[in-house]
Amino acid sequence: MQPIKSIKDIPELDLFTGGSSVCAGCGPSMGLKLALKVLGPKTVIINSAGCMTLLPLFPNTPLKVSWIHNAIENAATTAAGARHGLDALGFKDMNVVVYAGDGATYDIGFASLSSTAIKNERVIYICYNNQSYGNTGFQCTTATPYGSETKTTPRGKENPIGNTNIHKDMLKLMGVHRVYCATASLAYPVDFLNKLNKAKERNGFSYIELLGTCATGWNFDPRYTIKISRLAVRCGMWPLYEIDDRKLSLNKEFKQLKPVDEYLQLQGRYKQLPPDGVTKLQSLVNEHWAQLNEFNAKRYV
Amino acid sequence: MREEELIYKGIHGIPVILEPGNAARVDRSSWRLVRPVYNKDKCIMCKICYTYCPDSAITWTKEGPVINLTSCKGCMICVEECPTDAMSEEKEAS
Repeated sequence: MQPIKSIKDIPELDLFTGGSSVCAGCGPSMGLKLALKVLGPKTVIINSAGCMTLLPLFPNTPLKVSWIHNAIENAATTAAGARHGLDALGFKDMNVVVYAGDGATYDIGFASLSSTAIKNERVIYICYNNQSYGNTGFQCTTATPYGSETKTTPRGKENPIGNTNIHKDMLKLMGVHRVYCATASLAYPVDFLNKLNKAKERNGFSYIELLGTCATGWNFDPRYTIKISRLAVRCGMWPLYEIDDRKLSLNKEFKQLKPVDEYLQLQGRYKQLPPDGVTKLQSLVNEHWAQLNEFNAKRYV
Repeated sequence: MREEELIYKGIHGIPVILEPGNAARVDRSSWRLVRPVYNKDKCIMCKICYTYCPDSAITWTKEGPVINLTSCKGCMICVEECPTDAMSEEKEAS
């Protein structure tokens, strides 16, 4: 398939209508809408409990493709089952796609994800990472970045930082399984859809992680959804790269990263982060960015 | 069986959705405080508003974007991202 070159090239395929009950300016629903433009009508979406479960709320659905909703632990194994079933029935051209949140991917569903990845089933796993359990009211997951305030890690006199854990490096973990894995951002839809095209043509498991900006949880005006997605990439908080057969390649390279402060100031969840917290976060970002640059076009895991 | 009954009673007691994408008819206009207004003279047909609308409230035609105010929740991403200010915002009458 020809790679998409610009926003004008994106197929005009509307398989996702409006009227769903997710928040205004929802990043993950925008991600699904864009993904369906490339995946096409022959798609089964497997969703584990999370924000995106609110899309098909009976008796209305915004989707024109099949949708399986299941428990939070086993989205990946359900996908493997669906793949085998479809193959046995002769529907080999159908795409099986998992659309799960970061709580289901990083924490609760990691066992089933790992087992499906190691068996190299022909499944595309898209994780919309809103860095929290968004649906239940913004609790901390292992994807929550350092310094973010959540419901379970509030700021106080004893702990002014908020979340003191450093988030899990999921791409590295998935790279160890020797599958195709990549990060994506909503502000770079062409890059995201090209990665999805690549994953679609592979005869194996692929893992794509999308930064799902969450206006309600991150506490910002929904009009800045794309601006924040773009700043996350420009500041180095969300570098765009892919790992194919254990080799890393950076997709967006910058000579100079913007200071992290610019990204933090727009969001309410970082509003009262003290200066030493910002310094620590900046040093973590710099460390990760230096590591990615060092291993660019080399074996990473 | 009438159509409304079929949806809830379904086939063998399992509820069914007869029409995929029927959420497009659900009215979400009460969610928004401001609405986007399109100005054709400034538009450069870049498709950015169409790509970035999270609720598919903007459809693309040959003449440019068409805003569906039933689905629009007023997130104003189109207004913020438009490179030429062809989209502007207007307060909803309360």
